Amino acid sequence: MNSSVFLSRLVFGLCAGLLISNAIHAEDLSASQRLNGANTRKAFAKTKQAAFASTVRLIRNGKLITHGTIVSKEGLLLTKASACVGAREAVLADGQSYPVRIRRRDERTDLALLQMMAKDKSFEPVQWSNEMLPKEGGWMVSADPKLKGLKVGVNSGTPRAIKREGGVIGVILGRDGDATGGIAIAEVVPRAAGATAGLKKGDVVTKVNGKSVIRREQVIELVGSHDPGDVVSIEVIRDERSFSYQVTLGHRSVTFEMFNRNLQMSGPVSKRKDNFPMIIQHDLPLPPEAMGGPVLDINGKAVGLNMARVDRVTTYALTAKVAQESLKTLNR
Amino acid sequence: MQLAAMSLCLKADELKAWEKPFPENHEDLIAIQERLRKILPEAKKAVVAIESGGGAGSGVIVSEDGIVLTAAHVIGKRGKRVKVRLPDGKRVNAITLGGSEISDAGMAEITDEGGWPVAPMAARGSSKIGDWCFALGHPGGFDKERGIIVRLGRIIAKEDETIQTDSRLLGGDSGGPLFDFNGRVIGIHSRISKKDDQNFHAPIEAFHANWKSFREEKLLTQSSLREGGFLGVGCEETEDGLKVIEVVEDSVAKKARFRVGDIIVKVNGDFIDTREELTIAIATTGPGKSVIIDYRRGEKEMTAKVKLGKRPEFEEESEE
Repeated sequence: MNSSVFLSRLVFGLCAGLLISNAIHAEDLSASQRLNGANTRKAFAKTKQAAFASTVRLIRNGKLITHGTIVSKEGLLLTKASACVGAREAVLADGQSYPVRIRRRDERTDLALLQMMAKDKSFEPVQWSNEMLPKEGGWMVSADPKLKGLKVGVNSGTPRAIKREGGVIGVILGRDGDATGGIAIAEVVPRAAGATAGLKKGDVVTKVNGKSVIRREQVIELVGSHDPGDVVSIEVIRDERSFSYQVTLGHRSVTFEMFNRNLQMSGPVSKRKDNFPMIIQHDLPLPPEAMGGPVLDINGKAVGLNMARVDRVTTYALTAKVAQESLKTLNR
Repeated sequence: MQLAAMSLCLKADELKAWEKPFPENHEDLIAIQERLRKILPEAKKAVVAIESGGGAGSGVIVSEDGIVLTAAHVIGKRGKRVKVRLPDGKRVNAITLGGSEISDAGMAEITDEGGWPVAPMAARGSSKIGDWCFALGHPGGFDKERGIIVRLGRIIAKEDETIQTDSRLLGGDSGGPLFDFNGRVIGIHSRISKKDDQNFHAPIEAFHANWKSFREEKLLTQSSLREGGFLGVGCEETEDGLKVIEVVEDSVAKKARFRVGDIIVKVNGDFIDTREELTIAIATTGPGKSVIIDYRRGEKEMTAKVKLGKRPEFEEESEE
């Protein structure tokens, strides 16, 4: 933005020694009338009740780590498995809090099943939508991170599976190494997995998990077949000596964040935002710690479970169908 | 009193949900949702991705013979060969035409044979602050499985060279269309701000005003502005026309005896209505070259032949 407005100021400043008027601030639409303004949100009263009843905040050391969704009267919760580690209590919209215990995780969906510990308490579970997939352009509504208000937006892209992204070392590889007997590391991403393990710029990669490599593609394939968090052994030649490093792989999107302008503009994003069997996409402005809660249609029915803040315009939610299937498996 | 209240009620009833100051209830929200769903499929048909070298942006086809509206910063150069990607993923050849980095309006043309899906352009002045709108585009680049992404919002501010909305945008959206709730293109995505609910679009008015010069591949960039011709008038768009409100000291305009209050009518025979049109006409003509300016002073029609000057060096950040 800045450059555009700056340019127009420049132009007219130049052409005329004039300033562009600041009408853009004087006449703008009041904050309450905007898409996520107070007046607009007020019309969602019905939906709000449903969102507040079935969303919880999961707390670790007094801090919100992720949202959860109440899925049974007995206080079972679904949440984002990779974000809920160490959750101690669940706080409801009415301020009541209950200790939680983790029951199981489903790696396929990144969902975890938690139990709220409350005697003789009957909770209000989320009502799932019967629609197989919500229609494009429909309202989407979730509770805000503090469970004080709502965030609204629309169902914005085609429902689909999100492919798995393998783990990365966090280096930029040079050319195929027919001459050098390996692949030279052209750059090491600071603070990423490779740098932390001890890899250095100029090292020549000769083996991945004991397998000899001579082409870039081989390294990328061998490393990428492992998940973020897996440990991979990398053998390199440095100063004519051979070294072996154990690298705990990182997430692609997080590792290369500094090179991705779109991610820089997006603020914090979820770590795991890949490898989902079926998602719907929406544009709600939610931070990563508001994943795990339900996303509702205009009638207050859950059409999905928020699973990944991807970028400034994108949040993925597992479809209601996938979430319910996963719940069945977890609750068996 | 009662009558007045009643007629107010009636008037309110006639308003569509998206014409009210804000949706008042569940029914209004449903009406907005259904309206969006009704116009969305048609609107998406004409949305394209523009690929040139490493970069990618979005655009929208507005004529059957393949005129594509996009952002000036997406086309970068005029006469450049680019690929236009239709919603089904098919790539067709196109060439960049003109544009202006003031509004960030840019134009390209599909060069392959064929009739193309078209989105209607809104007329000048048909969008206003508070209007509901939706952004379409390819944020982060073309992704066939994901498709074109829709984001709902409202116009939060509008001035001559820019529209601001709370529709969310990302890199790759640049050049994509902003639609109103009548299914017409009212703007082209230009820039984002740090706040994700305050983004900028080139207004459709910039395309209407500069249609001819864009088609003639006139492209106003920051450098062409620096190196182009300089007249030395400051103008304001008024009901009467483009009114001179300042004449820069020591400029060629001063020498040609332009005065505050003059109305600029034509440059080299082309009608001029907006500041951007004037800037393009002047800056895309080199210093030392002459232009003929028709203008009005009161009732008098006047003409001046002006040899353009050089833009004076300017101090940055001097304004605000």
